[in-house]
Amino acid sequence: CSDFQKTLKSEDTAAKFEMATELYEAENWKKSFRLLDQILQKYRGKPQAEKITFMHAMCSYQLGDYYISSYHFDKFRDSYPQSEKAEEAAFLAAKGYYFNSPVYSKEQKETVEAIEKLQMFVNSYPSSQYLSEANALVKELDFKLEKKAFEIAKQYNIIGGYTGDYNASIESFNNFLLEFPGASLREGAYYYRFDSAYKLAIRSVEYLKEKRVKDAIGYYNAFAKAYPNSEFMEEANVHHEELQQELNTLTTKS
Amino acid sequence: QVEGGETYTIKEITVTGNTNFSAQTIIAYSKLRKNEEIQVGGEKIANAVKTLWKSNLFSSIDIYITNIEGNTADLEINLSDLPELKDLTIEGVKKGKKDEIISENKLQSGQKVTENLIATTRNYLTNKYKKKGFLNTKVRISTSKVIDSVEKERVNMHLVIDKGEKVKIKDINFEGNEKIADKKLRKAMRNTKRKSLNPLRILKRSKYIEDDFRTDLVSVVDYYKENGYRDARIISDSITYLDDKTISLDIKVEEGEKYTFGKISFVGNTVYTDRQLSNVLQIKEGDTYNGVELRERIADDTNPDADDLTNLYQNFGYMFSTINPVEVSAEGNVIDMEIRISEGKPAYFNNVTITGNDVTNDHVIYREIRTRPGELYRKTNIIRTIRELGQLGYFDAQQITPNILNPNPVDGTLDVEYSVVEQGSSQIQLQGGYGGGGFIGTLGLSFNNFAIKDIFKKDAYKPVPRGDGQSLALRLQASQFFQTYSFSFSEPWLGGKKPFQLSTSLSHSRQFLYSPQTRRADKSKSFNITGLTFGVSTRLAKPDDYFLLSQAISYQHYDLQNYNTGLFTFGNGTSNNLSYTIGLSRNSLTADPIYPTGGSSFNVSAKLSFPYSLVNGVDYKALKEERENLDPTVPADYARIGEIDQERFNWLEFYKIKFKADWYQALTKKLVLRPSLEFGFLGAYNNDRGVIPFERFFVGGDGLGNFSLDGREVVQLRGYPNQSLSSQDGASIYNKFSLELRYPITLGAQAKIFALTFLEAGSSVNDFKDFDPFKLKRSAGFGLRIFMPAFGLLGIDFGHAFDNLPDGTAPKKWETHFIIGQQF
Repeated sequence: CSDFQKTLKSEDTAAKFEMATELYEAENWKKSFRLLDQILQKYRGKPQAEKITFMHAMCSYQLGDYYISSYHFDKFRDSYPQSEKAEEAAFLAAKGYYFNSPVYSKEQKETVEAIEKLQMFVNSYPSSQYLSEANALVKELDFKLEKKAFEIAKQYNIIGGYTGDYNASIESFNNFLLEFPGASLREGAYYYRFDSAYKLAIRSVEYLKEKRVKDAIGYYNAFAKAYPNSEFMEEANVHHEELQQELNTLTTKS
Repeated sequence: QVEGGETYTIKEITVTGNTNFSAQTIIAYSKLRKNEEIQVGGEKIANAVKTLWKSNLFSSIDIYITNIEGNTADLEINLSDLPELKDLTIEGVKKGKKDEIISENKLQSGQKVTENLIATTRNYLTNKYKKKGFLNTKVRISTSKVIDSVEKERVNMHLVIDKGEKVKIKDINFEGNEKIADKKLRKAMRNTKRKSLNPLRILKRSKYIEDDFRTDLVSVVDYYKENGYRDARIISDSITYLDDKTISLDIKVEEGEKYTFGKISFVGNTVYTDRQLSNVLQIKEGDTYNGVELRERIADDTNPDADDLTNLYQNFGYMFSTINPVEVSAEGNVIDMEIRISEGKPAYFNNVTITGNDVTNDHVIYREIRTRPGELYRKTNIIRTIRELGQLGYFDAQQITPNILNPNPVDGTLDVEYSVVEQGSSQIQLQGGYGGGGFIGTLGLSFNNFAIKDIFKKDAYKPVPRGDGQSLALRLQASQFFQTYSFSFSEPWLGGKKPFQLSTSLSHSRQFLYSPQTRRADKSKSFNITGLTFGVSTRLAKPDDYFLLSQAISYQHYDLQNYNTGLFTFGNGTSNNLSYTIGLSRNSLTADPIYPTGGSSFNVSAKLSFPYSLVNGVDYKALKEERENLDPTVPADYARIGEIDQERFNWLEFYKIKFKADWYQALTKKLVLRPSLEFGFLGAYNNDRGVIPFERFFVGGDGLGNFSLDGREVVQLRGYPNQSLSSQDGASIYNKFSLELRYPITLGAQAKIFALTFLEAGSSVNDFKDFDPFKLKRSAGFGLRIFMPAFGLLGIDFGHAFDNLPDGTAPKKWETHFIIGQQF
């Protein structure tokens, strides 16, 4: 039996605490966690509890168990708001939520939660050393939500030929542009909104065609004004020209 | 003695009196602290008493101030515990009922006996028996103190229940009714009935239950209202005790005048014409006034899918419409109605979102959704979306819920959020068992929501890459007589632009003949089959978008070595099967693929080979004639037959046509009837070349194909042994009819279980001459299905055969079938 096993099985809480601290400092999170887990309850209400609670949370954080670690860091901060470690705990709790955020194409409940937690951290510790990191994380998470909305709107464009419903794409990009004013995907959004409107206009039934062509030209103008140097401009120009001609024949007919 | 209002600091707190609780616990609970300042008659002491009372553990609580020294004082909390219940005796009910009374009233021993407990128990029991018709029930509860061995005060409780005689309603009398007869009014009272002279009426008993009686009085008034007496009311009702056992009910009504509908006009309608609206309303001028019907025709609360005016608007975009009927005149008992409609703006979907998809990627779900942003709100589209998301099989079909969010009447928009719950769509099968003369080991992996793009990403293995809606299956099976390996993959939306499914499969199998000498597989006599299939399928837009067109090219290579059976006269040879399959199917089943409650599915397909005989110049007629003149018992002739057959079947030439249809019809809310019929035909282009020995139909039994790489189709027909209704080498024509009645036991997420009974009939023949669609082998039986996401479908059926087997022998009476993994 190793020392660790002996201590783990013994009843000596003080020895466990000592060994856990040693292991913790040696960054042996897994073994330290097992010891801390045993003594956490026993030290409740005692002065050592502060340190133990923090170490316990940190171990699960380091082990990648972020649901657990965030819960314990949050609890630590609530119990010891005056602790010098409170700020770090608050940040790591929020960062744990960040790690739980899944890929953009799945449900984003955890992403929204992480943004809220990080934002709360930024508000509570405006001069924190972790501030820039927290802001970077928020930005990354915001981009995830932006990307999600963008990809859904773009999918409506892609399947438009099958569903015959390019309007869904236009509406979704309208919502996207409204909801993400500083988005980095705005350029694409402007372009695909125009592209959907163009395809809708070209395939339109006769009696709605003129209105749809005009709408599409409107979306082109918005795009050209916002991103005159866009990489999509060349293709947009071709479509725009086609729409102009379409409009001319429509107006001369009537 | 202290005056009120003085303030002291608490020095000590003591606990006295008759209590089992530790002093510390009580002090902590009282929230009084040492060194705290208290005011005599102040809030703190009052609160302490209140908190202790609330615990329901004490019969008396007093707090005294003692030892006053200057401005310090001691506190004494004096309390005595409530007595605990020791024994309970119950009189007046059967033994079996006692446990029920104890558990429902929490009368276990150890329970604190409070006045409240006694009162609630008494009320509970009195009401309980009154509800059962014992109107004269009396409940007496007495308690007596006992000192038990540990010198603790406890009480015994004695419960006496006197139910008295069961009271029956002898008569229900109406007074004041001239227009409508007593009999009809009594009939309108659905729950309260008088003692019947009809001995057959056993379901409705003539008990008097107050609540039911009140409901029935409303029904009587409603009955009047339905018949034009809209002012009818009950003036009084009373009970007369005739004797201990019987009562009579006396009801006094005021009927009022009879009214009829006058002019019904619509106001505010622009979307529908008056005529369209009155067609839905179905009430005409001159009809007897019926307030209940009018209400139902406008909005039927009992049926959300009713064909009423509200749904006419709500289901077709006018989510924000309101409809109000107003009486504009009631002259001469004729009521003119004005139906005032505020149509509101048509509602369009704005945001469409999904929640709960923590495995499946957005694009797999959004492409199935039929309520897209900017589209007019239609209820039918929401229902269709739920159906189609359910059919994907990635989510629990019973738990898909659409939530309408942020309805905005000003902009005419609303959001819809589909809440889904992922379910396990992967199955792992690892099994070993004895069958077919030896040990069979199977390893099967099937992933129905695979993501092949993540196959090289380490993080995605939780436990396999999932979420792109692809399916991937691997299966290895081996015994001493055969080995099969198969792999298949399919992507439902190739390219992502439209539902264009690509599927491929690759398989290889090896079978050995049984050697009678060694009683083991003879490895020198083998039959190998290797096959490759590519298929595509597309959803069609016409005639409606439930149609699916599928096409496939498949190639199979058969390689025989010393494999002489009745079927294979060319024991050493090869055969190739290159075929094209085209199929058209239509599937409109309701959401849950395991337990559909409506809709139908049709499937017609043709599998064709190239008509080689038209172009290859072989004279099959001559070969046929030569073959007919040979005698298979003569070895030289037999060898020649082998050569001829090798020539006939080197490239398989055939066409196969199949048809299958299933309907699901909900008979009641739960009971579902499933009629189905199927038919299959395997033919040859060139009759001289003949029908091929592969691709045949095997009818009878559980319908599970053990290994079916030679294109065989195993057709279920329960009640008969497996494949007993076709000749040993399979049939070329079959038909089957079946009728199944299903009843769900549970349709939860963990397991779906349903019971079924069936009637089936079918037959198979080798030659069209012998085909008679009505000369069938019939059977009937019953069974059970259990579906659990991790195991797939498990089932057992017991079938009874009515007809003899094709060889004339009688089958055994009952045949048991185990159904594993098969979907339906």
